[in-house]
Amino acid sequence: MLLDMQEIRKSFNAGPVLHGVDFQLERGQIHALVGHNGAGKSTLMKTLGGNFADYGGRIRIDGEEVVLHSPKQALAKGVAMIYQDFSLIPDLSVADNIGLGRDPRGKLPGLISHSALRKRSAEEAEAVGIRLPMDTPVRQLGVAEQQLTEIVRACSQNARILVMDEPTARLAPAEREHLFDVMRQMARSRGVGIIYISHFLEEIRQVCDVVTVMRDGRIVETGAASAYSVPDLARLLVGHDDIVAATANATARPSSGKPLLEIEGLAVAGRPPVDLAIGAGEIVGIAGLIGSGRTRLARAIIGDVAASGRIRLAGRDLPRRTPQRSADAGLVMVPEDRKVSGLALASSIEENMAATALAPRLSRFGIIRAREKRALVESLIAKFGIRPPDRKRAVGTLSGGNAQKVLVARAVAARPKAMILDQPTAGVDVGAKGELHKLVELSAAEGAAILLISDDLDEILALSHRVAIMVGGRVKEVLPREGLDRASLLAAISQGAPE
Amino acid sequence: MSLSRADTGRRRLTLPAGVAWSNYALLAIFVVLVVVFCLTVPYFATWANFANVLQRNSVIGIVACGMLLMIILGGFDLSVGAVGAATSVVAAALIVHVSMPFGIVAALALGLGVGLINGFFIAKIGINPFVTTLATQVLVTGIMFVGTAAQPVYGVPESFTWLGLGRIGPIPVPTIIFAAVAILTWAILRFTTFGHHVYIVGGNKLAARLAGINVDRVTILTYGLGGLFAGIAGVVLLGQTNIGQPASAADWPLTAIAAVVVGGVPLSGGVGKVGGAVLGTLLLGVIANALNLLGVSPFWQPAVTGAVILVAVGIDSYQRRRLERR
Ligand SMILES: Nc1ncnc2c1ncn2[C@@H]1O[C@H](COP(=O)(O)OP(=O)(O)OP(=O)(O)O)[C@@H](O)[C@H]1O
Ligand SMILES: [Mg+2]
Repeated sequence: MLLDMQEIRKSFNAGPVLHGVDFQLERGQIHALVGHNGAGKSTLMKTLGGNFADYGGRIRIDGEEVVLHSPKQALAKGVAMIYQDFSLIPDLSVADNIGLGRDPRGKLPGLISHSALRKRSAEEAEAVGIRLPMDTPVRQLGVAEQQLTEIVRACSQNARILVMDEPTARLAPAEREHLFDVMRQMARSRGVGIIYISHFLEEIRQVCDVVTVMRDGRIVETGAASAYSVPDLARLLVGHDDIVAATANATARPSSGKPLLEIEGLAVAGRPPVDLAIGAGEIVGIAGLIGSGRTRLARAIIGDVAASGRIRLAGRDLPRRTPQRSADAGLVMVPEDRKVSGLALASSIEENMAATALAPRLSRFGIIRAREKRALVESLIAKFGIRPPDRKRAVGTLSGGNAQKVLVARAVAARPKAMILDQPTAGVDVGAKGELHKLVELSAAEGAAILLISDDLDEILALSHRVAIMVGGRVKEVLPREGLDRASLLAAISQGAPE
Repeated sequence: MSLSRADTGRRRLTLPAGVAWSNYALLAIFVVLVVVFCLTVPYFATWANFANVLQRNSVIGIVACGMLLMIILGGFDLSVGAVGAATSVVAAALIVHVSMPFGIVAALALGLGVGLINGFFIAKIGINPFVTTLATQVLVTGIMFVGTAAQPVYGVPESFTWLGLGRIGPIPVPTIIFAAVAILTWAILRFTTFGHHVYIVGGNKLAARLAGINVDRVTILTYGLGGLFAGIAGVVLLGQTNIGQPASAADWPLTAIAAVVVGGVPLSGGVGKVGGAVLGTLLLGVIANALNLLGVSPFWQPAVTGAVILVAVGIDSYQRRRLERR
């Protein structure tokens, strides 16, 4: 047996998270670890990655009992990690990040040969078939490319055990398929044991041999992946039967009134102009490959990046936009990366959730109306099912999925006229995803215009009334929801793409 | 915290689960120190001495309140000393040549102005706080030395010293001003949208911007307040010396940063409470006072201050790492 974790326990100051977890992994096995948001998956894997010096229980690797009190020890025992929220160094280049901690020797001891590092990193990326701009600082990459950088780095550490914590949460379908090929190849030909965490349950059957389900810090079941259907898994990890299925067909057609959000000739940095009009109560999905310019477009709409063209909201022009002026006018965005551009991690759930709504809704003459703020926050915590339901909790200590819910709740709290959602359910579990979808539909039903960017094609199909196809920074066409399915949508976004 | 098999070999110094050092341990240390000093240091436990400690440290406490705001915002201000000296010189000159109210108002306006300029360069031009405030510090000091030919300004009426040395009942006037500034800072952070925005901007600037917060305005206003508080401190300083001394206050920036940091506020921004800054100020002040009474050479004081910073912040960071290891 490659890895044998026994009776693993871990507490934070807020209470115990892992209640004696047993977990085994064989050589060459791809082992799925699934569970609801906050079940303790990441915590279990961070324990294995040597992030905690105070865990309880025993860990054996290849039969040898090991103590993993620092990431360095874990790496030395052959454990490589892809963390759920990135651990890259933003100002270093892609090549530097891939080679982080494995500096090739320079001519003298203590010196690094940058050319050798760059060359090796390029080769390592090549070896897993991922193409990346080696000299670009990671800060300038989109989240998908950052994720790919992490993948290359982890795959190049010559690990015996590779932990992947939601690596596909931010990848588009094509990249996912490619990643699965890489995983199979590493497992089959090099005997690497892979632990794979994901909320996309269909993927589990596709790539994994074995699946382990966690709930509330305990293992509830382990078995061959082929023995479970997607609904089986969903029921197991949520722990009850009533899962809100993502509504197959979107709610009633929006009221055919005047468009609420109008985008006219919006052109970002030399890209062709975009025209799009969204009615009150309408959800327009934007589908496209990674790098097709969806996030750029979203940021240009709210005025975070410069662009020519006009935006009209409820018939009124929004000139000289900044994110703040847009928010005041009732146009808000849920950014794509909760850790980097989304949340203030040291601040509490309450502070983060109220950030946008504070000035326009929750204060008078700059003085906060504390009682209303508190009531709003508590109601949103309940509505979004955030765990633990403690408004004072620092957002940085929440599980990834719960942090994501705080981010969406922040936009909803501002009661916007129009909302732009950029990957709103990245890392959210099946149960909560259905809930979030319902809340998005509710906002639309209450008359908001919603622009939904997502790599999850099923999500686009479940929520959108119309789907805009983006290719190379341009809205190529806008298709009605009727008559679209996964395959035709995938074909639409892939055509005309470079490659 | 559950004791686990992997742990049994080692025993560690830990606080009970859930008790963050910054909330109570600093207060406990402060209380213990005061008690120890009361028992061991002659003349320490007299009201005259306490009043003396309060009076001496109120000025730096006022500065520390402003510094706290800037540190929560993720920055700091090296120009507070220059601003303090400049305001006291300007106030002295204007009090002598024009009138007392005008002198005070003009001095505060000067502090606010320099702060706003700091904020403008940091927010709008994008120079980092270190460079910006270092530059304004040198600039303000330079202009002040040119304007005064490096000579102190004399002639402030004796009555003005009430502001620096007077008492209301048993409480020194500067301490009352310090308390007012501290309460104001607390209220800003707790009750105003601006205060809440300071935390969010300090925690994640990009996120704050995308959430619709006017980051530039928050930044400029924060540095403006920092400058204003340094101006208030400068006027109180004039009340203590009665001389507009261009060469004073050079140690303010670092002492104020030290007070805030000892108060458990990390320089990384996004968190911090007024209580920490106040307690940090008093802790450093009490230690200096005890050394003084014990007849230790004043040259030792910086060394002791340095050691206190390392120990206090060291315990804090150690606890934080233990409790919040990712
Ligand atoms: N540093 C921390 N301090 C306090 N509590 C924490 C910390 N890290 C995690 N937790 C808590 O531990 C629990 C499990 O978190 P974990 O991140 O392991 O969940 P997860 O299964 O990975 O969920 P997700 O699918 O949302 O990523 C959560 O309730 C979380 O709030
Ligand atoms: Mg997780």
